[in-house]
Amino acid sequence: MAVVDKNRPSPEWIEHLRKRYPCEQEIDRVLTRKLERRAGPPYAPVSLDTLQAGTEALLRTQLTEPFTITDTRWLSGGASKLQMAFVLHWNQPGVGRSSTPLVLRMEPSEAITETSRLREFQIIKAMEGKVPVPPTYWIDAYGEYLPYPAIVYGFAEGVTKPSKSTSTVSGVGTSIPPEIRETLGQQFVDHLVTTHTFDWQQADIGAYDRPAAGTEALEWALNHWERVWEEDSHEDVPLMRLTMAWLRRNMPPVDHISMVHGDYRLGNFLYTEHDLRISAWLDWELAYLGDRHEDLSWSAKRQFGQMAEDGKTFLVAGCLPIEEYLARYERASGLKVDPERMRYYDIFNNYKCLAIVLATGYRAPFNGKTHQDVLVAWLSGISYPLLEELRTQMAEVL
Amino acid sequence: MQMRPQIQLQAVIKALSDVVLPAIDPNNKLAIEQGKLSIGLLALLAQQLPNQFRFDCDELARLIATARELVAQAKGGEGTQAAVAALYEATQLAGSTLDTAQASPAEVEAMVRAMRVTSGQLVTEVYRDGEAGCRAGIRDAVLAMSKEQLLRDRSMLLMQGWEPDPKAVPPIASLLDASAR
Repeated sequence: MAVVDKNRPSPEWIEHLRKRYPCEQEIDRVLTRKLERRAGPPYAPVSLDTLQAGTEALLRTQLTEPFTITDTRWLSGGASKLQMAFVLHWNQPGVGRSSTPLVLRMEPSEAITETSRLREFQIIKAMEGKVPVPPTYWIDAYGEYLPYPAIVYGFAEGVTKPSKSTSTVSGVGTSIPPEIRETLGQQFVDHLVTTHTFDWQQADIGAYDRPAAGTEALEWALNHWERVWEEDSHEDVPLMRLTMAWLRRNMPPVDHISMVHGDYRLGNFLYTEHDLRISAWLDWELAYLGDRHEDLSWSAKRQFGQMAEDGKTFLVAGCLPIEEYLARYERASGLKVDPERMRYYDIFNNYKCLAIVLATGYRAPFNGKTHQDVLVAWLSGISYPLLEELRTQMAEVL
Repeated sequence: MQMRPQIQLQAVIKALSDVVLPAIDPNNKLAIEQGKLSIGLLALLAQQLPNQFRFDCDELARLIATARELVAQAKGGEGTQAAVAALYEATQLAGSTLDTAQASPAEVEAMVRAMRVTSGQLVTEVYRDGEAGCRAGIRDAVLAMSKEQLLRDRSMLLMQGWEPDPKAVPPIASLLDASAR
């Protein structure tokens, strides 16, 4: 058995993976780039001054009139990207002299989710005016001006959880109080419906391959996540092999190709506490064209909700009982929720999540590639309850 | 189980060095000094950990060899004879302990990984071109092994707080004791 050194991947092995797991072109590009850079240096701390200088260099290619950047500061939250808030003083087209609060969102050397800034930029721009998203401004898609690829978008006011609430990392375990559940829950449904019924055929999203009806989108997605597992896993897990074999043998054809957010859940939206309005949906980096059931299943995961006061009723996103959540979705979207496909995507989502937290969650900090290895390493501990959930699911379906 | 001390220590050292230490008030000399010492001790621990078991075995082998020499050389009265007898007995015990400690933790870990890889490949191949009739047995074996192993994996990380019902997961020491019996 040939031993592959995943920390120093050979060109032959990279090519082997690309051929074995064909996926969307832009996803192939970022995964290939990740492997080609892997043997290089670990992530080195970047100062706010460096990021400010890089942002200024990027803006000089975009703006013809003088501008200044002030009030730079780090933003926390999220496990995968670095974020710097700042204020841009500039002559804003159509507005005049303005001071605009903005966010620079930049990749580390390798992230717990290796994704494309180009895709993220395109989808956020495409969703502007449809669901609340931060306004997009500029992109450094290939890290020409900043140390790594980055986007600049507007700073959205709001919180990811009630100010008095507690949670563990990445929004897991957030508690939503009863008095705000209905208002937030209805918006949670409405925005998902809008995303899934959005007319992507007319959108300017060239970094997304457009799948044919049937199982093509799902095949690309399975190839994507199995490739991530192959690239990044340290220990193999026979249960993951069993799961992938089942997923490939039981692919349900998609009846309506939707824009899938890919990480639609509590913790990935901001809301303003004074009026309980969702002000921005964040983290679109995993978006792709596929089956709506992935988002429906993912948003209803135990880790992203809570039990009601009766101790029996599970609340999706801490807001709505799951039956109510799905019924409202069906009524508003006109799209059916298929229990069989929900079950399929429950399993798919656990596989995907494990590829991220167990495989990449090991490989990236092992090579010192992120700006918060300690958080990524901590997060990988959630893999084992997830594997247990997957084991139970596989025992039911096999 | 791949969430091991080596990677945890590396991540903690990096966080302390890159983020926490630079953020300490430069006037707080005590905090800066203790921060640096903490990083230093963690780095020492990271360096010692992979070698600790082999270091101890190596030391024990040397002590056994020396003890045999001491027993052979020592002559004298009651006190000396009693000490020789005690050392002889201790040497016998130490020798049998060393005999049962032939595989190092690193070798055991490497074998765990190898077994996982080859077992995983067999699962993939059976579902690709294996006889359909054998798949139920393969499935049952993988699910049964996963159930027992995951219980131990989850118990090992219980303090992280991911478990929905922590009381349902027994302490790792009792699970390992049960396996050893």
